[in-house]
Amino acid sequence: MATIFEVHTAHPDAQYAAQAAQAVFDLVDRLERELSRFLTNSDVARINGLAAGASTRVTPTTLECLVIARHLYDLTGGAFDVSIGTGLPLLELDPDGLVVRAREGGVRIDLGGIGKGYAVDLAAELLEEWDLGASLVHGGFSSVLVLEPPPALEGWALTLSDPAAPARLLARLSARQAALSASGLRKGDHIRDPRTGEAVRGRRAAWTLVPRPETAKADRAPREGPRMAAAAVADALTTAFMLLGLEEIESICAASPGLEAWVLPEAGADGSADLMHFAAPVEP
Amino acid sequence: MAGEEDKNKVMPPIAAGGPRKLDRRDVLKGLSTVPALGLFGYAWQQQRQYDQATLQATAAPAAAGDVQELNIALIGAGAQGQVLTDAMLRIPGLRFRAVCDVWTEYNLRRVVNILRRFKHEPNAYEDYREMLDKEKELDAVVIATPDFWHAPHTVECLKAGKHVYCEKEMSNTLEGARSMVAAARETGKLLQIGHQRRSNPRYLHCYEKLLNEAKLLGRIVTINGQWNRAVAADLGAPDRYAIPEERLKQYGFKNMHQFRNWRWYKGLGGGPIVDLGSHQIDIYTWFLGTNPSAVMASGGLLYYDPATHEWYDTVMVVYDYQTPQGPVKAYYQTQTTNGSQGYFENFMGDQGTLLISESELNYAGKIYRDPNAPAWDEWIQKGYISAPKLQELQSQEEKSGAIADVRESVSPDEHTVPVVLRDPYHQPHLQNFFDAVRGKAKLNCPPEVGYESAVSVLKVNEAIDAKSILAFKPEDFHI
Ligand SMILES: NC(=O)c1ccc[n+]([C@@H]2O[C@H](COP(=O)([O-])OP(=O)(O)OC[C@H]3O[C@@H](n4cnc5c(N)ncnc54)[C@H](O)[C@@H]3O)[C@@H](O)[C@H]2O)c1
Repeated sequence: MATIFEVHTAHPDAQYAAQAAQAVFDLVDRLERELSRFLTNSDVARINGLAAGASTRVTPTTLECLVIARHLYDLTGGAFDVSIGTGLPLLELDPDGLVVRAREGGVRIDLGGIGKGYAVDLAAELLEEWDLGASLVHGGFSSVLVLEPPPALEGWALTLSDPAAPARLLARLSARQAALSASGLRKGDHIRDPRTGEAVRGRRAAWTLVPRPETAKADRAPREGPRMAAAAVADALTTAFMLLGLEEIESICAASPGLEAWVLPEAGADGSADLMHFAAPVEP
Repeated sequence: MAGEEDKNKVMPPIAAGGPRKLDRRDVLKGLSTVPALGLFGYAWQQQRQYDQATLQATAAPAAAGDVQELNIALIGAGAQGQVLTDAMLRIPGLRFRAVCDVWTEYNLRRVVNILRRFKHEPNAYEDYREMLDKEKELDAVVIATPDFWHAPHTVECLKAGKHVYCEKEMSNTLEGARSMVAAARETGKLLQIGHQRRSNPRYLHCYEKLLNEAKLLGRIVTINGQWNRAVAADLGAPDRYAIPEERLKQYGFKNMHQFRNWRWYKGLGGGPIVDLGSHQIDIYTWFLGTNPSAVMASGGLLYYDPATHEWYDTVMVVYDYQTPQGPVKAYYQTQTTNGSQGYFENFMGDQGTLLISESELNYAGKIYRDPNAPAWDEWIQKGYISAPKLQELQSQEEKSGAIADVRESVSPDEHTVPVVLRDPYHQPHLQNFFDAVRGKAKLNCPPEVGYESAVSVLKVNEAIDAKSILAFKPEDFHI
């Protein structure tokens, strides 16, 4: 995934912790082999080469990542689109047979916007398998997942800062059992709306926080999905929240208690931009 | 945020708010009240229903159809066993009947679970003998256990009447390797050794078309190759899944650390030259068409703790080959402290250079024409190699009318080997094995070939100790 993965963990035996981290890195390498679009024999490369009506078998993890991507596509009305406008709905996913079939040719997917988060989700499960419940794992700093905090702390300290001016701190959070994902533009960067192909204006950065579901914590046996992948979902929503209207962001957050989003708009005429925060109202 | 009412408000600057606490109980409240809605019902089930409707007419690509179904088992469900399983799941006509692994708590369970997801119903075994006793219908067994187990596992499977695919290194000892060749001959069963490059379409293309037919390199005089790996922590295991000591001993391991890091221990693995080098030295021999005549090597434990690393971590080797075209010197290095340039093989002839590796990402096949070599147009037209990448400084002379533009020596034309692998790395070699079991192909790496390769690499360990050049006799490779 051409990025840095890091594991922070609290455990009395440093060697044990290092071995667990090594197992995480091996896992990330395996996912990269399945999901990289540049590797001609990856699952994704084979999917991208499918002619109309052709199908290919993929690993359970690839299929699961695609199912999550497809769900987020539907949820965001196509604002999060791993096919970047080439027709994600034309891919039929069969979770039972682990088969992907292209109804038409020419669909090109790039799981870059979700793969890091998905890898981080699986890494977190692995760390729990190793009983390293007090851990933080991230991919490229943009997909962060925190489990329990280190002893004596209430949460992992995280910050949000302005991508155009990294010294400008926007918010401090203290989080546990959650995924936090970031997407932002530096000067000269731009992103395109997959629905229109147009460059997007008006947003400088977005962050999404997704709590981990209880089930992920409870079930510590080796698992083969399906799973509620908090960091993958956070990655995808963050990308979508760079383009969606504020009302749409608000309504997605309202339908998903626990989900929180922050949006940093483009600076106004006076050069200032204030961070906006979205979250569902919590019932008393 | 707990108690947050205004969901669309501007966040106060940090100083005013201070660190926020995310209380899990509050955050999750309400989750269960909106089950299949919004984000958290991302609804595997829904997706499934949606897809089933459209999938009804779709045949899975791996549906057996007209191929003869084979009953298979896996012994050794570790890292490589899982890679092989992923590849086999894509090969039509295979039915997993059993999986055997002594790490029942972890690896065995994981692989059995994956197979169940693919609708196989394998029985799980700790002891391979019990498996062979009970699973009478097996046609073939795939073995991916630590090297020192290869000979006993392979020999017993062959004697039980199964065809065998055994991972490289064939064995960590020559006696072990010999017993495997003998068992294959005695039983008449097939034995494929897991040097998977022998079935890789790019390597086959280079061997058959570029070297043998077009002879693009002219006479190969030197080779260099390497497999460099970055420093890595020793492998570990989750405490909760540790294997009881008694069982470890029963299967030849002193403790969990040795069980996970068997490669580094004498008597269990064959050292880095066997672990990494054997793949590539096998290619040297294959492409040159002859076994080496001598070897010298320097190796040592330069970096790791000798208490947990009995083998050297670094080795540099020079082989001599005597080919019908003349002598060849072939260099190989493997080290485990810096991953610079990864792994590749580079064949250098008097007319060209072939740089390849198994990776589809790095060194996936480039061939360079020496400026003095005959034109390669014919081979470009035949599609054996790509057209050359245009040279930037191409023709200063033409533009300026000068006789010569004085510069660095001209670099050779770079062509691409136009063959890529679309399947997982091990799939073609496994496919070749199962085709052979069905009587439709010849093995690409029968035990005799695996044995020759074992002779070449195991000698390196001797040469390191001897600190001198060791000669091979042609009969060393025959059995
Ligand atoms: N062809 C290749 O490219 C390639 C790549 C990696 C490994 N390999 C080979 O695959 C083999 C396995 O390597 P690995 O990296 O998977 O090692 P590993 O330690 O990850 O896996 C070995 C597995 O075998 C099991 N095992 C050990 N003794 C056993 C026994 N007596 N009966 C049943 N199961 C037993 C272990 O529990 C473990 O699950 C080695 O021979 C290695 O050289 C080949």
